[in-house]
Amino acid sequence: MTDLVVDNVQKWLGGLQILSGASFTAERGRIVALLGASGSGKTTLLRCIAGLEQPEIGVIRIGGTSVLDDRAKIALPPEQRQIGLVFQSYALWPHRTVFENVAYGLKLRKVGASEIKAKVEAILEKLGLAHLAARYPDQLSGGQQQRVAICRALVYEPKVLLLDEPLSNLDAKLREEARFWIRKLILDLKICAIMVTHDQAEALAIADQVLLLKGGSIVQSGTPLDIYSRPETFYAADFMGTNNVLSGRLVGASGGDSAIDCAGLSLPGVWRDREAPADPEAVRAVIRMEAISVSPEPCADSAPFDVEGCIYLGEKWEYRLKRGDLRLRAQGHEPLSATVAHCRIPASATWLYNP
Amino acid sequence: MSLAAQAPRFRATVILTLFVMVAAPAALIIYQSFLSAPFFDESARISLEAYEFILTDPEFYRALWTTTLYAVGMVVVAVPLGGLLAFLITRTDLKGRGWLEPLVLVPMFLSSIVLAFGYTVAVGPSGFVTIAFRSVFGAAPWSIYTLPGIILIGGLSHVPTVYLYVASAMRRLPSDLEEAARAAGASIWRVSLDVTLPMVLPALVFSAALNLLLGFETFGIPLVLGDPNGILVLTTYIYKVNTIFGAPTYQVMAAVTVFLILITLPLVFIQRRLLRHARRFAAVGGKGARTNLLKLGGTGQVIALSIIGLWLLVSVVLPVGGVILRAFVENWGEGVRLSEQLTLANFQRVLELPSLSRGIINTILLAAVGGALAVAFYLLVGLAGHRNHGRTGTLLDYSVLIPRALPGLIVGLAFFWLFLFVPFLVPLRTTLFSLLIAYIIVGLSYGLRIIQATLLQVAPELEESARTAGATTFRTWRDVVIPLVRPGLAGAWAMIMIVFLREYATGVYLMSAGTEVIGSLMVSLLTSGAMDQIAALSFISILLTAIGLTLAMRLGAKIHD
Repeated sequence: MTDLVVDNVQKWLGGLQILSGASFTAERGRIVALLGASGSGKTTLLRCIAGLEQPEIGVIRIGGTSVLDDRAKIALPPEQRQIGLVFQSYALWPHRTVFENVAYGLKLRKVGASEIKAKVEAILEKLGLAHLAARYPDQLSGGQQQRVAICRALVYEPKVLLLDEPLSNLDAKLREEARFWIRKLILDLKICAIMVTHDQAEALAIADQVLLLKGGSIVQSGTPLDIYSRPETFYAADFMGTNNVLSGRLVGASGGDSAIDCAGLSLPGVWRDREAPADPEAVRAVIRMEAISVSPEPCADSAPFDVEGCIYLGEKWEYRLKRGDLRLRAQGHEPLSATVAHCRIPASATWLYNP
Repeated sequence: MSLAAQAPRFRATVILTLFVMVAAPAALIIYQSFLSAPFFDESARISLEAYEFILTDPEFYRALWTTTLYAVGMVVVAVPLGGLLAFLITRTDLKGRGWLEPLVLVPMFLSSIVLAFGYTVAVGPSGFVTIAFRSVFGAAPWSIYTLPGIILIGGLSHVPTVYLYVASAMRRLPSDLEEAARAAGASIWRVSLDVTLPMVLPALVFSAALNLLLGFETFGIPLVLGDPNGILVLTTYIYKVNTIFGAPTYQVMAAVTVFLILITLPLVFIQRRLLRHARRFAAVGGKGARTNLLKLGGTGQVIALSIIGLWLLVSVVLPVGGVILRAFVENWGEGVRLSEQLTLANFQRVLELPSLSRGIINTILLAAVGGALAVAFYLLVGLAGHRNHGRTGTLLDYSVLIPRALPGLIVGLAFFWLFLFVPFLVPLRTTLFSLLIAYIIVGLSYGLRIIQATLLQVAPELEESARTAGATTFRTWRDVVIPLVRPGLAGAWAMIMIVFLREYATGVYLMSAGTEVIGSLMVSLLTSGAMDQIAALSFISILLTAIGLTLAMRLGAKIHD
């Protein structure tokens, strides 16, 4: 069942359009990540779903109920939308204990005291917080506060769980753990979850579906695998991963065997843009850093490059390579001792796009 | 449109009520100024007589000129001195700055009628200090009943207002800005001149504008000190105009008020713009405890402490000491030993006079209970304006500005008229209710500012998370916002209590038999020259303020902006 429908949501701030027609759907037991750079409108979109912002145009349905419909003049306030929202800052009420924070949503729904106690205790138990029920938020660590915030948003079984950068206030180690257990929790509970993040690794790790936003609209939507390995626009390709971006001239058809001429070299590649080439004189190539293999000895299809430098990064080395005016970044597990290295750039990894 | 769209009916009702409370008295004044007689007189008709009268009255021009001199003079005295005190106390290693700070603020909490009376009995022509000085040196070379005397005293008593704004700007100044200048090679005094001063300049300019406004609205000091030599400012001109005519001349009072508003309203708007500008500067703030205070050195300490000591002597010790001494003696003069004259007779007389003893009880009631009611009202207004960016928010903004352009005397006068004019209000005029309403309007901008600052401390997500959990706007206010601001409300109550305790001008016209208040009683006793009773009442007023301040400190009220 489709629990969330967002259709053509548009919002202006003064004369500036910050959401320009975002549409997507989300289902129970699936996690959708809204991924984008700052200013892409991802948080605004989430707040529109929550009812904290009012878009001028658009339709939003939660659990089959219209909560926003500009034509029918429906705009339900947040409290009538059956949602749970986890804030970036967690927003735990400092004057209430952990138990009272979590119980509040149930109290508002006029649930009996004994049932409140049972439900709150059950969810605190599930997230390993049972022993903290009587504490106040300022007596908890950041990770504990985050789990309380998630309990508070989940305990009354909302139709949709919204998470606004839920991991950004955790330190790196906790964050990697949280990616795992949050995904497991949501799948276990079979709820529909929407998460806002600017961190692509987080989106890829947690979500079933990633929506990449730019300038208030969705650039591409797909599974994490699709988004990372089959980007359909230059923006999407460049946003994900660590890349070499080359500008040049398109040679050959936009079908199988294309190539890009840049800095006096011709690199074979594949046309990946969803549009046909607009101007063959100006196209871009995106090559993921990890797609380039570098070896001290020449091999089939390899080309020699000057080694400008090697940077040690702990788990790997980053190579700075140069051939004429063409500069590349690549990686490997050994430092390059010679002044010349041989690079193999597979045609299938040289993705060509309209700029 | 975000959350602001919620609970619109509540917001509109509260804001419209406030607007009516503010606009009705102002409108009545303007209406009255265009009548030929008091508005309840049947022969009254539309006319410009009142304006003709004042525009041909040399007394009016003299009062206007005196008021301007007074306001400007006050700024010239108060701003440099307040800035200097703020600098010494917040930015240097001055000894004893911890306990000096509350002392510096004392004149702000006392009603200016008490202060002015204190000066009269201390350094007036037959004041304690004057007599003592004369008995030693043969003559006393000062006279406080002159315009320079009045300006100096007015300026000194407004130093705390400047101090508050400048000190808070200096505290908010991020220390890295100064450290950057020091690292670039500037000496510590150069830094003060090149970095600190320009950064607090908006606060200095703002407090200058504020004092200019307060100068135009001043009443107590010129009333007490200017009257003996016939020096009038606009407010005392309004107050005295009845005696000149020998009959109530409401239209003339109203016309002068309109002139006064034409001066003060632009000042209020200028101030508002300046404050925004000052905030923008202050918002650059980084935190970081300031560790490197300017070292004054031995001589510096002596000079700095002498400046502050002299100011404290003149601004606090003289008037407050004068009041305290005068309250316990009846006779004094050259050759009289004061220690043999100590008596409680002044207080006995005050307690025997029903109007005076009632005045004490009414003042306490209005301050404590009325203060609480006022805070409740400001909270309603504050909530109505809380995260409200709609059209009603703008109306609220302007409603708060209007009373700032009206001195307490005028607010009291306008409400006095209103309670005569509106039929269903007439029976309430002789109750404390009429005073409470006027006090609420007088304290509006100050009280609302405290409440709004407290409300803004609640992070928006704390409210939003309640909304998404299923709470309505009202429920969110009840369950999240109000519990979180409760400590701030207690502090606000204490501060409003002090404001109401020291208020004297509002009740001048509004009080009636049974609703006397201390401050206004003193104003009317001045005419009869009952100095013994004024002294006793002044002492009680200081005592009540001290109790209020202690309470405020206990409740953690923030005096700082």
